[in-house]
Amino acid sequence: MKANPPFLAERLLAWFCAPHLLEEVQGDLHERYLRDLDRFGAGRAGRRYWVNVLSFIRPFALKRRPADFPTPSLFHPVMLRNYLKTSFRSLTKHKVSTLINLFGLTLGILACLGIYLITDYELSFDTFHPDRERIYRLVGEGQFGAKGEKQKFGFPPNAVPAALRKEISGLETVAAFHNFETDVLIPDGTEKPKRFESRRHGVDNAELVIADPEFFSIFSYEWRAGNPKTALREPYQVVLSERKAHKYFGDLAPEQMLGKEVIYLDSVRVRVAGIVKDRDRPTDFTFTDFISSATLRASPHMKWINLDEWDDIWSSTQAFVKLPAGTDPAQLTKPFQDFSRRHFRQEFKFVPALQPLSDLHFDADYMDNYSRKAHLPTLYAMMAVALFILLIAAVNFINLATAQSVYRAREIGVRKVFGSSRKGLVAQFMSETAMLTFGAMVVAMALVGPVLSAFRSLIPAGLTYDLFSLKTIGFLAVVLIATSLLAGLYPSWVVSSYRPALSLKGHSVVMGGQKGFLRKGLIVFQFTISLIFIIGTLLVGRQMSFMRNKDLGFSTDAVVSVDVGRAGKTELVAERFRKLAGVDRVTKEWFPPMGESFMMTKLKYRGKREIEMDVSAKVGDENYIPLYGLRLQAGRAIMKSDTFSEMVINRTYAGMLGFRKPADALGKLVEWQGKYYPIVGVVADFHEQSFHEKIGPAFIAHMPRNERNLGVRLATKGRPMSEVKATLAAMEEQWNQVHPDTKFNYRFLDDSIARLYEKETKTSRLVSTATGIAILISCMGLFGLATFTAEQRTKEIGVRKVLGASVASIVALLSKDFLKLVGLALLIASPVAWWAMDKWLQDFIYRIDIEWWVFVLAGVLACGIALLTVSFQSLRAALTNPVNSLRSE
Amino acid sequence: MRRSYLGEFEEVVLLTVAVLGEGAYGVAITDELDRQTGRSVSISAVHAALHRLEEKGMLTSRLGEATAERGGRRKRLFAVTVLGSRTLHDIRAMRERLWDSIAPQSLPAVSL
Repeated sequence: MKANPPFLAERLLAWFCAPHLLEEVQGDLHERYLRDLDRFGAGRAGRRYWVNVLSFIRPFALKRRPADFPTPSLFHPVMLRNYLKTSFRSLTKHKVSTLINLFGLTLGILACLGIYLITDYELSFDTFHPDRERIYRLVGEGQFGAKGEKQKFGFPPNAVPAALRKEISGLETVAAFHNFETDVLIPDGTEKPKRFESRRHGVDNAELVIADPEFFSIFSYEWRAGNPKTALREPYQVVLSERKAHKYFGDLAPEQMLGKEVIYLDSVRVRVAGIVKDRDRPTDFTFTDFISSATLRASPHMKWINLDEWDDIWSSTQAFVKLPAGTDPAQLTKPFQDFSRRHFRQEFKFVPALQPLSDLHFDADYMDNYSRKAHLPTLYAMMAVALFILLIAAVNFINLATAQSVYRAREIGVRKVFGSSRKGLVAQFMSETAMLTFGAMVVAMALVGPVLSAFRSLIPAGLTYDLFSLKTIGFLAVVLIATSLLAGLYPSWVVSSYRPALSLKGHSVVMGGQKGFLRKGLIVFQFTISLIFIIGTLLVGRQMSFMRNKDLGFSTDAVVSVDVGRAGKTELVAERFRKLAGVDRVTKEWFPPMGESFMMTKLKYRGKREIEMDVSAKVGDENYIPLYGLRLQAGRAIMKSDTFSEMVINRTYAGMLGFRKPADALGKLVEWQGKYYPIVGVVADFHEQSFHEKIGPAFIAHMPRNERNLGVRLATKGRPMSEVKATLAAMEEQWNQVHPDTKFNYRFLDDSIARLYEKETKTSRLVSTATGIAILISCMGLFGLATFTAEQRTKEIGVRKVLGASVASIVALLSKDFLKLVGLALLIASPVAWWAMDKWLQDFIYRIDIEWWVFVLAGVLACGIALLTVSFQSLRAALTNPVNSLRSE
Repeated sequence: MRRSYLGEFEEVVLLTVAVLGEGAYGVAITDELDRQTGRSVSISAVHAALHRLEEKGMLTSRLGEATAERGGRRKRLFAVTVLGSRTLHDIRAMRERLWDSIAPQSLPAVSL
């Protein structure tokens, strides 16, 4: 009979009892247990054993005797120095794998660091305002007509802020402002005042606002000069930011700038009433010129902003509210609804609401025209990508380190014989990993600046960061520790488990099947991620080229949009352009068929029943349809005329009005703003917004009042690029003759359409960059492993060759295993990639199908890359003369 | 003469080791104590006492051979040192002197 005392009790004893006493105590208790077993049976004997073990918890048994040859603490300076020295030696000995790991880890940490800096920057927007949790933006939900769609607006009608201030008691402060753009004139005593051009839309920050004095009670600024209490109270006052003021007036002291004159809109003369310090933290409030809102009522040139307007809404109007401490914004829902019912009795309805300041930078539902929105899902996706890249790099490290541990078996054996503890060995290997990771981190920190500027199109404009701030250092420390643990723990555990007796005798300590599985599993993991990225790149690329190449329903070739806007004299400019040799055709228009700007208006048609709906208006003269190559399906284009007298509609609108054939619509009358206009033609559908939007009803009409801009088709057939440049220069010259004070603003239509896909272009670049990095790191890992395998099997290959194996069969032998893993990775990656890409494509109304061959292509690509990586090593192994590999033993 | 102090239990354990001679180890000592004194002592108490006695230099110990009945573990065998022996003798001499000094009939009679 073999009876053993309770296992747990034995473990407990072994744990607490001093080692030098353990054997005799265990022996005595065991002996006693056997006797008890004999006398009382297993149950009682077990209990007595427990009691005996517990009774040994007394000082003499707990106290450890100092060893004769004490092991120094793992963190003793001597040990630390030893770790560093041996780590350095082993890293320099295995140069290839060190370089591979260093490179991979650097890329991984670089990606993490870069994206951390971006995220940190985006999340820090407007977080510096005092009382920021009490500041809300006045937004709302609007509806045109009873049947109209409810829309979210990031801006209220002009009359709302002042009315709210008067009527609703629970708001501490309400401040409205309106942003606008104009050239600024600074009189400097000479005939011609100094002129500062207005900002370029979409490039420069919004700077000019007309603001209520309360603005400065909601957002506090540091005042350099002037009185915050009185500035902006009077009409014709302006508060400037310090930097802007220096730009206007040069190196004057702030006090001396007070009272200086600034001219906006060519004729609104205002006086400087204050100078405030510029913001040096990330903010969406980039304004530098604050004109008093009292000016709006006072100046005849400012009537275009109507403060008593209830029935329309402008994106340039903004209002902010500061609630009293402790107020829940939800309490205001009811008063807001009542307010809305009181004031909006007409067509247009608007219900005010509050948006927390912290959402301003992220919530794209509430649009405005100055803040830059950060897309949180994109940020999260980027973080995930960075994390995966770091993970792949860590996997490389694990793979290479475990593979190479064979070389180190002897070292471990000797160390163990000399009394190194397992903990000591783990510490040594971990320090090696940490050293490598630290090196990678230093390189990454040096590279992050140049890399971020190389990817300028991907990162938010104006990104500022501090690599040595406490937060960044903390983040890097976390990355360092996490990476070292992740990459180092498993290899060091494996390596330190070798038995010295075996490894010193020269027994092979290559891992058995189970450990091989882990390595293979990790390769599959790496390639799964790489494949997901590859499939993503292929599909995003296909969608992008689909968007570029799909027939838009009109032609964008060599079309230049000239922004005339407020400069005026459109007809004169058009006439001059028409005379130029390189110009094919010119149309006066509001906007081109497709772009960021469009206008919806209500059209009514009385057929069998009355059909009223929002229709997109495309405004242009008789040249509009031929210039853009819009295809007529029935009827004719618009004729030359002085007024709006007829319209052409698109196929979708014709269908919505119930005409089965386009020709049926001809001659029918459509009502717009109380007048009737005949339909004279139907054009094929064309895209007017991005492919995210469905083609809706549209009509084309000649409305001379709105045709402020120009569309110009250049004659390019058979002409070189240089001639296009010459034509543009000639156009600019003509422009300058008409408008000497305004800049010639033009843009190729292709470019403005491409702007619609800015986000997609970013995504595409992000995915393809990530793909490149993921493949690179994975392949380097594979390369390292292939090197190792080929070396391990040198003898085998030698024998095989002697026995007549061909080079091809040996290469196949060595590559086959890796290819199987890539195949498996494809099986895992395909459904994941399909799911993710399907979600991405759902956003597009017009999109490509996900076809099976994309997955096959990705698989072939991955296999090809893997094969290429592996074959270099396997070929070298296969070509080695067997004499060399077999001679040495 | 300076005498090492021994507690009563230590003295008994020391004596038991002497009684057992060659085969004095934890369990054997415990059993012998049990038999001789009739009181049940725990192994850990005996071990503690042995440990103290060894520290005081009254006992020496060595590890014996491995035996199967103890799960292959060795016994620690104890032997009384010269110091231990002298201490025991001292105690005994002191006691005897004391006995000798007791006047007859000064102790109540006890029938053994």
